[in-house]
Amino acid sequence: MLLIGNNKLRNVIKITVPFAVIPAIAILGALAFDEKKHIIISLAAAVFSLLLFAAGFEKKSTGTRRLVIAAVMTAMCFAGRFIPFLKPVAALTIITALYLGGEAGFLVGALSAVLSNFYFGQGPWTAFQMLAWGLIGFLAGIFSEKLLKSRILLLLYGALTGIAYSFIMDIWTVLWYNQGFDIKLYLAALVSAVPYTVSYAVSNVLFLFLLAKPFGEKLGRIKIKYGV
Amino acid sequence: MRSFSDYNPIAVTVWFFSVTGIAMFSSYPLIMLMSLLGGAAFFILRSGLSRGKEHLFFWGLFLILALANPLISHNGKTVLFVMDHNPVTLEAALYGLNSAAMIVGVLYWFRSFTQIMTSEKLLYITGALSPKLSLILSMALRFVPLFSRQSAKINSAQKAMGLYKDDNIIDDIKGKSRGFSILVTWALENGIITADSMEARGFGTHRRTQLRRFGFRAADIALLAASLVLLGIAAAAAGSGSLDFSFYPTISAEAPDKLGKAGLIAYGALIMLPIIIETEVSLRWKFLRSGI
Repeated sequence: MLLIGNNKLRNVIKITVPFAVIPAIAILGALAFDEKKHIIISLAAAVFSLLLFAAGFEKKSTGTRRLVIAAVMTAMCFAGRFIPFLKPVAALTIITALYLGGEAGFLVGALSAVLSNFYFGQGPWTAFQMLAWGLIGFLAGIFSEKLLKSRILLLLYGALTGIAYSFIMDIWTVLWYNQGFDIKLYLAALVSAVPYTVSYAVSNVLFLFLLAKPFGEKLGRIKIKYGV
Repeated sequence: MRSFSDYNPIAVTVWFFSVTGIAMFSSYPLIMLMSLLGGAAFFILRSGLSRGKEHLFFWGLFLILALANPLISHNGKTVLFVMDHNPVTLEAALYGLNSAAMIVGVLYWFRSFTQIMTSEKLLYITGALSPKLSLILSMALRFVPLFSRQSAKINSAQKAMGLYKDDNIIDDIKGKSRGFSILVTWALENGIITADSMEARGFGTHRRTQLRRFGFRAADIALLAASLVLLGIAAAAAGSGSLDFSFYPTISAEAPDKLGKAGLIAYGALIMLPIIIETEVSLRWKFLRSGI
C-alpha cells in the first residue's frame, strides 16, 4: 500500500479489494470447484472481506470523536432491532453513511449485526448479515451527495436495499440448506420470504421518511459544532 | 482445574469454529449425525434440561427442513410416491434429513457458543484483532442500558413539565417522538464529551488494557493445539474426497478409506474435547470433596 503514491488510486484499491475482487474470487472459486464447496467459499469470502476492512480501518487514524459517534449509532441500531416487525437498522445505517461517510456506514451496519445477534441468535449467517448491512451503508456513503439532494431517491434507495438485503440473505439460506446453489430452492426461499422482504423494504422507507431529516439535522449540527 | 467456558477465549473460539466449519464443509451423514448429537449433548450438559422451548424450536425446525427438500426437489431415482404429479423420491428425503441435521446441529453449537462467549470475551477477541473495533463494540454495549436510563429520565422530566398526555394517541406519539429526539441529541453530545474525556486521559497513546486478563496457560495451549491437529485431520479427510457422499441420482457411498476413518475419529474426538474436560473437572471436584 505504501508503494502507491497516488492517494486516489490507493483509496480505489482499498475499496475494490474487499468489495469487488474478493467476491469475484468467490464466484470464480465457486465455478472452479464442484458445487458442494459453494457454502464454504462464500463464507470464507465474506469473513475475509470483513477482516480486510477491519485491518484497513485499524491502520487509519480515525478521530476518537468519530469512533464514539459510530458507537452511538451502533447502539441505536441495536436498540432499534427490538421493535417488533419494523427494523430501523438499515435506515439508521444509511443515515449514518450519508453524514459521516461510507466507512462509518459500513462500520455501523456490520457491528450492529454482530452485537444484536448476541440477542437474536448468532450463526454462520452473521458474516453475511454484517456484509449485507455494511454494504448498504457503504454504498449510501458513495452516493451520499445525490441521496442527500433528493428525498425521493433516498426513499427509493431504502426500498431497493431492503429488497436486496432479503435477496442476499436468501442466497445464503439456499447455500446453507443445499450446500450448492439451486435456482428452484432459491425461488422457493424468495417466495416464502415475501413477508420479510416487504417488512424490510417498508421499514427502510418508513424510518428513512421519519428519521432522515431530524437525524440529519442532529448529525449535521454535531459535524459543524465539533468538526467530527 | 477449570471448566471449559473458563479456557482462553481464543482457544475456545478456534475449537468452536473447527467443529462448525467441518460440519458445514462436509456432507457425510455420519459427520452430520455426530455434529447434531454432540451439539445437543453439549447444550444439555451446559444448561441442563430446563430449556424445553429451545429444544422444541430446534426439533420443529428440523422437521420442517427435513420435509421441505423432498417436496421441492425431485431429483433421485427411487420414487416413493407421487404427490400432485410430482414424484417424491427417497434420495431427496434423505438429502433433506442430512441438511436438516447439519443446520440444526450448527444451530445447537452456536447456541452454546453464544452462552460461553460473554461480551467481555468477545471484546478480548476483537481486541486482539482490532482494538478500535473492540472499542466501538464495548461502547455500544454500554450505551444501550445508558440510553434506556436516560430515556426514563427524559420521560419523567417531560411529565413534570406537564408535556405528557397519555389518553390521546396523537399527543402520545408527539410526546414520544419529542422524547426520542431529545434522547438522540443528548446521546450524540454525550458521545462527544466522552470522546474528549477519553482523549484527555490519554486514549490512543498506549495499548488498550482489558478488564479481565485471559492468559495462555498450558491447558489453553493444549486445547488449541489439539483443536488444530484434529481440525487438520478432519479437514484433510473431508477436502481430499475421502468422505464424499453423493445422494443423487442414487445414493452411493464407498466404505471410507484410511484417511476417511481417521477423519471421522478426529471429528469425534474434536466434539468430545469439552465433554472430556467437563467430566474430568466434575470427577476431580467430587474426588477432592470426598477427601475432606
